[in-house]
Amino acid sequence: MNPRLASGRFLAALAALVFVAAACGSTGGGGTTASPSKGPLTVAGFNFPESSILAEIYGQALAHDGYTINYKLLLGTREVVAPALESGQIDLYPGYAATDLEFYNKGAGEANGDPVATTAKLNSRLQPLGLIALNPSPAVDQNAFAVTKDTQTKYSLTKLSDLAPIGNKLTLGAGPECPTRPYCQPGLEKTYGIKFKAFKPLDTDGPLTRAAFKNGTIDVGLVFSSDGDLNSLGLVVLQDDKHLENADNVVPVVRQAAASAEVTKVLNAIDAKLTTADLVTLNSQVSIQHQDADAVAKAWLQQHNYDS
Amino acid sequence: MTHISNVVRWFADPAHWNGPDGIPQRLVEHIQISAESVAIGAVIALPIGIALGHYGRFGNLAINISNVGRALPSFGVLVLAFQIFGLGNLPILVALVALAIPPMVTNSYVGLREVDPDVKEAARGMGYRELAQLLRVELPLAVPLVMAGIRTSAVQVVATATLAALIAGGGFGRYVIDGFAQQDYTKLAAGALLVAVLAMATELSLSAVERLLVPRGIRLQRAPAARRATAFKTA
Repeated sequence: MNPRLASGRFLAALAALVFVAAACGSTGGGGTTASPSKGPLTVAGFNFPESSILAEIYGQALAHDGYTINYKLLLGTREVVAPALESGQIDLYPGYAATDLEFYNKGAGEANGDPVATTAKLNSRLQPLGLIALNPSPAVDQNAFAVTKDTQTKYSLTKLSDLAPIGNKLTLGAGPECPTRPYCQPGLEKTYGIKFKAFKPLDTDGPLTRAAFKNGTIDVGLVFSSDGDLNSLGLVVLQDDKHLENADNVVPVVRQAAASAEVTKVLNAIDAKLTTADLVTLNSQVSIQHQDADAVAKAWLQQHNYDS
Repeated sequence: MTHISNVVRWFADPAHWNGPDGIPQRLVEHIQISAESVAIGAVIALPIGIALGHYGRFGNLAINISNVGRALPSFGVLVLAFQIFGLGNLPILVALVALAIPPMVTNSYVGLREVDPDVKEAARGMGYRELAQLLRVELPLAVPLVMAGIRTSAVQVVATATLAALIAGGGFGRYVIDGFAQQDYTKLAAGALLVAVLAMATELSLSAVERLLVPRGIRLQRAPAARRATAFKTA
C-alpha cells in the first residue's frame, strides 16, 4: 500500500505542478519565459472617437509586446462596457478616473481634482469586482475653460487664477445649467474668486459656444480639455491650477486576471507618455481630418519609439 | 399641488422681477422679437395675398406654397438659419417670419376673393378706379379675414418665439430652457405659463384691434337682426 500511495501522491503533486505552470503560462505572468503567443486580450472602447483612439494605442502597444489583441471598439456607454469587463467578455478599456469612480460608486461624490487620490479611491471600488485601474495618465479629458488667443495675449493669461482680477470685464458662456453647477460658475467664484461681468447661457461645449467665441459674445467659455478643434478655433484652455474640476485623467481599467506585471508595465509606460495636448491632436486627426483611429494610434506609437 | 404653490411663490419672488433675467426684461425681449417678425411677415405676406385675391389669379399656387410653408418646422428653420447666420437675433427672425407668412397670405387672399362680385361691380358703376375700389371697398370688406390671418400668425409667433432660447436668445423661452437644464422645474413651469398668458393676451388684444378696424356696416351685418334694425333706424 505504501509505495502505491507514495507514487500516487507523487503523481498528484506532479499534476498540480504542471497545472500551475500551465496556468502561469496562460496568464503570461512573470514574463520570464518567452511564450510564443501571449494573450489573447480583448480591448474595448466607449462609443466616442477618443475612446477608440486610446483603445487602439493600448492594444497596439500590447501587440508590440507580443500579445494577441482583439478589439471591441465603440462598444457602448459605461453601462455596457463595465458589465462586459466584470463578466470577462473584455479585458480592459481606457477609462477616465473621476467618471469611472463616480460610476462604480454610484455617484457618491468621492472624485476630486487629484488624479492619484481619485484613482486610489477608484481602485478601492474596483478591488471587490476583480478589476484594477492602473496609473492615471497626465492626459485629461475634463471640463475646462478656454479663451481666445487674443484674450489670452491681451491679459496675458495662462491659468484660471489669472482671471480673478479681471473677471468683471469678461463674459462667461456655458450651458444654461452652469449658474447652478459646482464645477461651473459657482465653483469659479468660490475656488478662484472670479466674478464675471455677465453669464451667457449657450450649450455645453457645442456649436453655440463656438459661435459665441467667434463673434465675441463671450470671453471665457466651457469646453472639454481634449476637444480636437481647440487649435483650429484659436482657443486656449486655461490651466485649472486650483483643481476645481474632477480628475478625469485617462486610466486603463483592467480585469485583475489579465493585469499581469507585463501588461501593467506596458500600459503604465503608455500612460506616462500620453499628454492632453496629444489627445487634442489625436482627436483633431480623427474628427476633423477624418483619419482612422488605428492609423493615428499607430503614428503616435511610432513617434514614441514603438516601431514594429 | 406643491408644484402649483412653488410656481406661485416663484412669481412672488421680487428677485424674478428685475435684472437682465427678470420677467420685465424677458417680456420686452419676447414681444420685441415677436412684433418684428409679425411686422416683417406682414410686409411680405399681405401685399402678395391682397394682390392675388384682388386679381383672382394664381390663388391655388399661392395657397399651395403657403401651405408648404406651414409644414416647415420652425425648429428646423431655426437650426439651419443658425448655421448660416451664426449667433444673434437674425436666425430667430428668419424662423419666425417664415412661420408668420403663410396664414397672412392665405387669409388675405381668401378675404379679397370672398368680396361679393356685385359689390365690386357696384363700385365700378359708381366710378371707382381700380386702386380706389381695392382700398375703399374691397379691403374694408376683407378686414375680418385679413385680421384673422394676422392674429393667427401673431399667436403662433409668440408661442414659437420660445425657441429663441435654444440658440442663446432671450424671451420667456429662457426660463423654459434654463429651468430644464438646471432641473428647476418651477422656473420651467413659470416660463411655460408666461408664454401661454402672453399668447392669449396677443389673441385678445388683436381681437380688440380687429373690432376697431372692421367697418361699422359689416359689424352691423353680423349683429342680430333686432339690433341691426335699431341701429339702422338711429343711423
